[in-house]
Amino acid sequence: MQSSENRSQISEALEVATKAGYILLENGAEISRVEETMNRIAKYFGVDSGNYFVLSNGIFATGNSRKLKNKNPNSQSEQFADVKYIPIRGSRLDKVVEINQLSRDIEAGKYTIETAEEKLEEINKIPPVKGWFQILSSGIGSGFFCSIFGGGLQDCLVSTIAGLILWIFVLKISGTHISKLFGNMVGSIIATSVCIVSIKLGLGVSLGHTIIGAVIPLVPGVAFTIGIRDIVDEDYLAGTTRLVDASVVFFGIAMGVAVTLIGFSKFLGGLEL
Amino acid sequence: MTEEFDMITQTVWFQVISGYFGTIAFAILFGVPKKFWNTGGIVGAAGWTVNILLARYANFTPFESNFCASVVITFLSRCFAVIKKCPVTVFRISGLLPLVPGVGIYWTIYYMVSDNFSKAFDTGLTAVKVLVAIILGMVIVSGIPNKFFKVLKK
Repeated sequence: MQSSENRSQISEALEVATKAGYILLENGAEISRVEETMNRIAKYFGVDSGNYFVLSNGIFATGNSRKLKNKNPNSQSEQFADVKYIPIRGSRLDKVVEINQLSRDIEAGKYTIETAEEKLEEINKIPPVKGWFQILSSGIGSGFFCSIFGGGLQDCLVSTIAGLILWIFVLKISGTHISKLFGNMVGSIIATSVCIVSIKLGLGVSLGHTIIGAVIPLVPGVAFTIGIRDIVDEDYLAGTTRLVDASVVFFGIAMGVAVTLIGFSKFLGGLEL
Repeated sequence: MTEEFDMITQTVWFQVISGYFGTIAFAILFGVPKKFWNTGGIVGAAGWTVNILLARYANFTPFESNFCASVVITFLSRCFAVIKKCPVTVFRISGLLPLVPGVGIYWTIYYMVSDNFSKAFDTGLTAVKVLVAIILGMVIVSGIPNKFFKVLKK
């Protein structure tokens, strides 16, 4: 009786910890934060010998309890092992914030394993910001970034329009259906085309500034910063994975701009390189 | 960046506002919770203002001004992270975005497309240099021990 109770306690504690780690990693937290949080949660729920190996797209967690040795003839000591694969996705920093808060609360003794599990489910289901609001932020962000990069008022307006259209595409098509590289490339093609056409219609003045403003919502800011952060923390494997991820996205954006510039100048006309 | 000034958007005030709202817009796209939007905007605006002022009025090169801005942003992010009890990431990522050498990267692509490789190489390296400045600033401030920031804890 004692044995089975203990066993479930350990595997449940580690399951909660792994789940928390999973959500953190999926939504753009640093490796060191994931390991620290998992360790903190598991320790509070009574796992002393937990081991966590976290990569940027996988978690390996093991734990055992030596106290139970020889109670059960079939197993020497109770073991728990879990491997989780985590695809690299976009970032939802709100979930990272919530898990951070949860791990503090767990340490302060506000949760049992069961309630913690429920809370994790709840956090995982937090809906993203409404679509129209994201589109609006993308547009506004593009507009202001155009001014940051040196564009004039008209250019900012063009960037805003392109940013709005770009994010409609990201939400409706690229987020779910196509690969990251291709999705970013097509997104960047759309944004650049909108800019070129607007300039041709006489809406904007400086093509370069409008294009930079328009494609900035695609820039992999989270992957890049976290990648650097991981490398500084000596998590080289995870850091390089993130940086490669950022580079792929970046390459996609650059290719999109390049292809569109070539397309308009060589085939569709109306643009001089 | 300083060749031609637009009379409205390139004034310092408009730039500060752009930094603030631009940062907030990206905070929203990255899923930062609503209660941190204002603080994030302040961090971004502060960093961008430092960059603009140093570059325009103190004759700093892009490398130097971006380094200083990156230091300011990471430092403020860490302060606010302790004060508001949340991960540093929340403020740092969107705050650093205005520093991205977008113009340099654009011209690099442009020159490559138009087969002007020596110019592409020039602008590309300048952009990379700015990127290195940003990373350097971030890394240096990240190296300050946590103890130092605990003072801010209420």
